[in-house]
Amino acid sequence: MKLYPIWLISLAWLLVVGCRQIYEAPVPYTGPDIPGAGKFTTSIRQSMEGVYSVTDGSDRFGDQMVVKWTYLREGNDTTYYLSMFAGTDATYFSLAGQPQVDSLALAGYWRKLSNTETGLAEFAVQMKHNGQLQNYAGRLATGDTLVISGLYNDDKAKPTRRLTLTYNRPLNPEPFAILAHRSGGRTSDLLPSSENSVEIIKLASRLGATGIEIDVRYTKDGVPILYHDNNLNLRLIQKNGLNGPIEDYTYKQLTNLVRLINGEKIPTLEEALEAVVVNTPLSFVWLDTKYIGPMAPIQAIQRKYRERAAQLGRNVQIVIGIPSTEALASYEALADKTNTPILSELDTAITRTTLNSPIWAPRWTLGPQIDEVRAMQKEGRTVFVWTLDEPQFIREFINESRFDGILSNYSTLVAYHHYTKQ
Amino acid sequence: MQPRIRILYWLIAWLFGSLGARAQQSEIDSLLSQRGPYAIVVTAGTGLSYYSTHLGVPPTLEAARVSRFGFPGTIRVMWYPDHRLRVGLETGWTTLYSYRGFIAGERSQVYVSTTPILLMFAMPLGWLTGTERSFARRMSIMGGTGVYIVRSRLNYGNIVNASTYSTGWMAGASYAQPVGRRFRAAVELKWYDAVASENAAFVAEVHLVWRAFSW
Repeated sequence: MKLYPIWLISLAWLLVVGCRQIYEAPVPYTGPDIPGAGKFTTSIRQSMEGVYSVTDGSDRFGDQMVVKWTYLREGNDTTYYLSMFAGTDATYFSLAGQPQVDSLALAGYWRKLSNTETGLAEFAVQMKHNGQLQNYAGRLATGDTLVISGLYNDDKAKPTRRLTLTYNRPLNPEPFAILAHRSGGRTSDLLPSSENSVEIIKLASRLGATGIEIDVRYTKDGVPILYHDNNLNLRLIQKNGLNGPIEDYTYKQLTNLVRLINGEKIPTLEEALEAVVVNTPLSFVWLDTKYIGPMAPIQAIQRKYRERAAQLGRNVQIVIGIPSTEALASYEALADKTNTPILSELDTAITRTTLNSPIWAPRWTLGPQIDEVRAMQKEGRTVFVWTLDEPQFIREFINESRFDGILSNYSTLVAYHHYTKQ
Repeated sequence: MQPRIRILYWLIAWLFGSLGARAQQSEIDSLLSQRGPYAIVVTAGTGLSYYSTHLGVPPTLEAARVSRFGFPGTIRVMWYPDHRLRVGLETGWTTLYSYRGFIAGERSQVYVSTTPILLMFAMPLGWLTGTERSFARRMSIMGGTGVYIVRSRLNYGNIVNASTYSTGWMAGASYAQPVGRRFRAAVELKWYDAVASENAAFVAEVHLVWRAFSW
């Protein structure tokens, strides 16, 4: 029997299926048309925050959700966003008030970061009074319960599936740093904005973050920029033919010819810190030292934006990470180390004696290290752990360890487990 | 490794494994008391390439002009055994694409090329004794896998030359016409696919095939 047809068909099949599968999760929502809070006054927003039980929709999103407000400032406008975090699949909802509707109405989208599921969602905020659902106007009598009820669906489909949340208890009030990796999250998790962009910094608090870690490198002409990898590559940038070390390119070349995966420019460190200080409620920035070179220019920018934050009445901690002995040498080469907060990823001895760093950040694979963490905290140091993405370990580290914060690519999950902790 | 890529590699292995096994099961092989003849065949050629997948031109570029054509060069060294499956190495060079334009009045140019380094398998479609009188025997299919060195050259403000490695594969077919005892002239159509860097080119070449050594 002639096998040539089979071989040729096999070759044709190879050509067809040999192409790489592209995963996409475009968020079907572009944001509110009108800035502001709509009908959601400050007192209404504060009363809404809490842990809610999920009834309708629990099969998709789990049996409880965290509800928390955040905001984004753009110029003179402040837009308030309601985030909801579920314990399954690193799910989050990002919703905004609907000023054009004469009630407490919200609309937005949901995403599951562990897969490509996303969709539209819309809700109304009501209260249950004497067993009856009524419109909520900001006043709750004893025995009244808030109910957020609405609809969701997949992708761009009109929301038709019921999702009902009933207020259960307040958020865990313990202070805890929820630090988002790569300025908010990884590009590979198909977030609506690219990692290490100004846009993801503006999104970070909607993903539950209270602070961010950003990756700093130098361009060929010495401009500090945000970029994680050593090289230009298709994981991080749109195809343009350019490759090789990012340090080989000037800032002019990068800003004019290179776009991150979702179309954003590679930001300078100054643009990133300006966004943190001016646009967001983020209170902590960890400058991860990815560069090889002098630390003085980074120190100057750190000082500038600490002062800018203070001028704006904002309490924003900006710290330079010391992840390696090379970075330690760069730090020690600084002529003046005053007014230069740092974070040490090195061992406890170097952190205590050589650096006297106020923050220690061991990697999570070293375990909870309860005794070491307690000892460092007794000395007045803060202890963060990085980069923890496993849901089971996030839950265990929050409930059983003593860290002051967790750096994660899934700040939504950290937020869920922290705020639901009892 | 992604499941589809894994399937791809297994399928290639199966394809050439089955072809080789079938070739070695031929009557000729089973009757011969001595193996051979063997040959080392060197192929060199050039032609035209066309960049055949999407390319990204920065939206900031004004009056952008794109070229997808290039002039490739190929060198291949193959071992021709006494059965149909041949194995060897291929390298060379080809332009993938280039574009140029202006950014705020300043000229900008990007040029992208690649050097494949591929483990090659090839097989004539027919196998007859005696002289090469069969069209099927002169036709070959080939495939290979390996690494592409993808180079970029940016000229904007200053020149930046950079390169990266990309895994990839190729597939092709050729027709070789005898022009002497040791030489053939061949035409070849092939597809270069540097999967990891998302570059692919269709290449048409003329080759000079030289049976350099035989024993």
